[in-house]
Amino acid sequence: MSTDPTDPNAPRVGVDEWVASHEQRRTRRAGVLGVVERELERVPSAAFYLGFGIAAACLPAVTSNGYVIDVGLNTLLYMLLALGLNITVGYAGLLDLGYVAFYGFAAYGYAMLASPQFGLHWDTLAVIPVVVVATAILGLLVALPSRRLVGDYLAIVTLFFGELFATVYQNGESMTVFGFSRKYDVTGGPNGIPNIDQFHVFGARIGALNYTAYYYVALIFFMVLLFAMYLVDRSRTGRAWKSLREDPLAAELMGMPVNRLKLIAFACGAGIAGLAGTIFAAANTAVFASEFDFTSGLLIIVYAMLILGGAGSLGGVIIGALVVNVSLEVLRDPGHATWVFYVLIAGTLVARLRPWRWLAAIVVGTAAFGFAVHAIVSAAWPRGVHGQAAVGGVLGSGLSHWVVLPSNPMTIGNVAFICLVLAVLALTLLHGWMQKVAMIPTLYLAAFVWDNVMLTQPDPARYIVLGLILIALMIIRPNGLLGERRVEIV
Amino acid sequence: MNWNLFVTELVAGVSHGAVYALIALGYSMVYGILKLLNFAHGDVYMVGSFIGYGIIGVFGGATSLNVPVWALLTVMMLCAMLGGGLLGVMIERFAYRRLRNAPRIAPLITALGVSFFLENAAQLVLGAQYQSYNSFSWRSPIAFSHFTLAAGAVISYAEVIIIVGTIVLVVALTLFVQRTQLGKAMRATSFDREAAAMMGIDVDRVIVATFFIGSALAGAAGVFNGIEYQQVWPYMGFTAGLYAFIAAVVGGIGNLPGAVLGGLTIGLAQSFSIGYVSSTFSDAVVFAILIAVMIVRPSGLLGRAAVSKV
Amino acid sequence: MVRRFGLIAAAAVAVVLAIVSAAAARPTASAAASTVSCSKGVTIGMQAPITGPAGSIGSDQLHWAQFYFTRWNKTHKLKIHLMQEDTQLDPSKASTTAQALASTASVMGVIGPAGSDEVQAVAPIFRKAGLAFASGSATRVSLTGGAWKGYFFRDVPNDSVQGPTDANYMFENLGVTSGSSVMVVDDQESYSTGLADIVGQALSGKGVKVDRESVSQKATDFSSLIAKVTPSTKVVFLPFQVASEAQLFAQQLQAQGKTAIAFGSDGTFDASKFTVNGSYISFFAPDVTTIAADASIVAAFHKQFPGATSPFGAPNYVLAQMYATAITKACKDGKTSRAEVRKDVLAVSLKSTILGGPMRLTANGDVAGAKFHIFKIENGKYVTIA
Repeated sequence: MSTDPTDPNAPRVGVDEWVASHEQRRTRRAGVLGVVERELERVPSAAFYLGFGIAAACLPAVTSNGYVIDVGLNTLLYMLLALGLNITVGYAGLLDLGYVAFYGFAAYGYAMLASPQFGLHWDTLAVIPVVVVATAILGLLVALPSRRLVGDYLAIVTLFFGELFATVYQNGESMTVFGFSRKYDVTGGPNGIPNIDQFHVFGARIGALNYTAYYYVALIFFMVLLFAMYLVDRSRTGRAWKSLREDPLAAELMGMPVNRLKLIAFACGAGIAGLAGTIFAAANTAVFASEFDFTSGLLIIVYAMLILGGAGSLGGVIIGALVVNVSLEVLRDPGHATWVFYVLIAGTLVARLRPWRWLAAIVVGTAAFGFAVHAIVSAAWPRGVHGQAAVGGVLGSGLSHWVVLPSNPMTIGNVAFICLVLAVLALTLLHGWMQKVAMIPTLYLAAFVWDNVMLTQPDPARYIVLGLILIALMIIRPNGLLGERRVEIV
Repeated sequence: MNWNLFVTELVAGVSHGAVYALIALGYSMVYGILKLLNFAHGDVYMVGSFIGYGIIGVFGGATSLNVPVWALLTVMMLCAMLGGGLLGVMIERFAYRRLRNAPRIAPLITALGVSFFLENAAQLVLGAQYQSYNSFSWRSPIAFSHFTLAAGAVISYAEVIIIVGTIVLVVALTLFVQRTQLGKAMRATSFDREAAAMMGIDVDRVIVATFFIGSALAGAAGVFNGIEYQQVWPYMGFTAGLYAFIAAVVGGIGNLPGAVLGGLTIGLAQSFSIGYVSSTFSDAVVFAILIAVMIVRPSGLLGRAAVSKV
Repeated sequence: MVRRFGLIAAAAVAVVLAIVSAAAARPTASAAASTVSCSKGVTIGMQAPITGPAGSIGSDQLHWAQFYFTRWNKTHKLKIHLMQEDTQLDPSKASTTAQALASTASVMGVIGPAGSDEVQAVAPIFRKAGLAFASGSATRVSLTGGAWKGYFFRDVPNDSVQGPTDANYMFENLGVTSGSSVMVVDDQESYSTGLADIVGQALSGKGVKVDRESVSQKATDFSSLIAKVTPSTKVVFLPFQVASEAQLFAQQLQAQGKTAIAFGSDGTFDASKFTVNGSYISFFAPDVTTIAADASIVAAFHKQFPGATSPFGAPNYVLAQMYATAITKACKDGKTSRAEVRKDVLAVSLKSTILGGPMRLTANGDVAGAKFHIFKIENGKYVTIA
């Protein structure tokens, strides 16, 4: 038997056959889905980004509802922020907890150069580059301690810079030079800087509240930067950053200029945040320091978007921002939120329960259980079913016959909420048929709690649902939706 | 030199720092073993504080207590520590256990999710209003008033209780970690988890114990905060957790004495900057001080630079 | 990437569905000008910081407005529905939610937002949408009488009334003379800094030494600050938004043995929280608890929403009342529009409200005949002094 490596029929020496052929043995999906999956695998990822760009450009053509466009603009700004953070965290592996300070610095920078605050009204083509470069330089300065600090210590120092910035700007309406000069109103303090100029180029000026124009501006900037990042990803610097992320010591031994790479990563991330900040300032026509400190939650949301999508992945930036921001906005309205709730429950059941007869049994069981409880309660305690369903339409009227809706749901709702939390936790501990049987009352309790408690207080409920989504998604996919699975050598 | 001002600021700073130190200990312990930044820890502190508030209600309410104050304090501490510990164990079991081997950044987001959940669930169930321990109205022979030292400085009994209580808890923790077998197991696991497992240590049990103790300390901190500063509300854990995280890192993360030292540093920095510099910019001054500390000691005050073997 | 096909596909489909359903929403421009039939009921929007660091203020404001409309809907054929939006005291979130309200055709008016900088952020949006909007807690002077006349109004007097009243009272009755000193502490929010600045300037104009300090709204430890209070400090002025913070400050002040008197503003007017004897408070209404009719309303409120409340809650009840009165008038012919409601609500004149007096607006949108009353706390109760 020949052992010539070029002969396809010869056994391969020194190779474990089982390991070598695992790609072929990966279960292919049967049928249409399998074909679709295989075809999609052949499409280069750049086509997806282009597709996203085209779809996003169509949004203002589909609707002229100001709220939807505003949410779209916010989502694009978040995507820009996540893109910048992706460089610092996803590529270079540096935890930057003061990132939002760059955003705020740029917004204030634009506000100071193009508003009545100091009487300056520079042209947009002059202000934006100046602000972006200034923010990048600030990023460079903040990164200087990174020579000595690693990991969580660097994170803390960046956090300090962020809080320092927020505190100084919040109280900047009466700043003196170490007490030796008169007081200057530099940043407007808690009153912020209002009446910021809109973008104007060669005489053409964007009207106030014209979110569509800003939407397109943000989209164009985002696509350009996405394209730039796509190229950087495949360039020497991108590879150098990734090796820095994986193992800084090995990177240094390989001769990579580790310090310079860190500084550049910070500066690039800060520059992108700077660009987003100028758009934010112009679109909102006023800036306030309270929007940029830690308690506003902006940093947390951007991190959640980045990591949910997968740090280090460009597609992840898009998906993460879309999922988090759209969820938060959709959940504002009780009607939409109820649909989301029931669809999520249905989806989880469909995805997790096999074979189908279990699924059918549980759905029927829950419905029957619900009607039974509703009938018993309406007979024994009539006031228990006279409450209002918070969502109208078909779903609402259907639910009012199935779910018990007391007229004063406060106390019993709170008790039920705590019981639900304990029940769900207990459910994860059970197995087999006991788990499936216990699902029925738990599902009904969940519907009860949702309609009575969450819908009467939709705003805490929004964040509870977001928190649960984050927990669940990170347990299912610890690397994020589109992240690469990385091996961490501890 | 105005000694009155100095001593008052000193005691205020130490008592404030003691509360931060207790929360920071929990952060450091969990980080030492799992390398996980538990951002939900501040909310365990909030729950502990609410448990203490509930106990006051059980015993008749702040203005009409029907037990002596020392009994009330003991019961509050025990319940808050137990409740906080159980909450911490539950969070570990359901949110973090599956992420033991995930990249470090994933449990960060899970912790944020847990934090959102706890804060907003507390608002849902308990309401967003500020509640008050109202410790100034507790009837007691030693009322929660202030007494004047010889130098003319004024400190309160509550501050003394906090400082003494913190010292007791920290000493107990140190004895536990140094002398008992479980403590030794915790130290071993934080040094090298895999080697400890191979030596026959039940790593799951050790992690559960770590979370329990760390969260119990946070619950105790919640009660201390309530006694002296009186306010409890669902979002109080957010800022306290942030400062405690800073304290843990400034002291050298993973290092227990460092966490205490870090907490005291922050408390004193806050106190002295309000007293001597300016109350408006006190936060900025504190952060400037901390930046300087980190640049001078890059691994934290008591941290040792990690030696990485190539 | 495609290996996670299922989850990605699900997420993408969900997002597309959300966008499509949102895209089916009506264009904003048409919502502004449309006439709505009153038979199905009318919607009033509400913006407040319901969650987040200012959650205690916002959820209270929301509850009082909900309370009014629940009672109204029980006894009137014309139903009014409250559409709530959470701003978390963040001006950019306030703009986004303002857009949501503006785009909903059935919204005829808005209660909120709560903060003065939020009002500035949302005003252009509401103006373009033709909506009247009213705040029960934004007291910055510059907000009324400017570009938003005819759109923005408030039912609490602004800082230019409260500031001088407080300063004059301190000067005339509390022993504050030229040469003595007063400590003015703000909580770094715009309500507080505006009022603190006005009082500080009024006092220093009279030759009083003013020590301006500030603390964060979430601060609880004031011992460091209180240690700076000297024996010649006659008054410590605390224009806080959170009554329990003022209570803590006053308690620690007394406990440290300082003789300075604590003086709170209308944000601290809460008999269940701020109770340190010997303190003073200014408030824009005579004491609501002594008005007999109010007791039953307050009791009913606590039945629906158990727990504590705050002084910024009751003004929102009155705002709801004003809107309900205006809508009744506007709906007399069976249909109404935003312009009509705007006109009617600015012309509303209520003979008595739970704030203890009539409520009428000036042309600018401020409260007509606004006057601040000074209270002193004696034996844990609020006693009207002036």
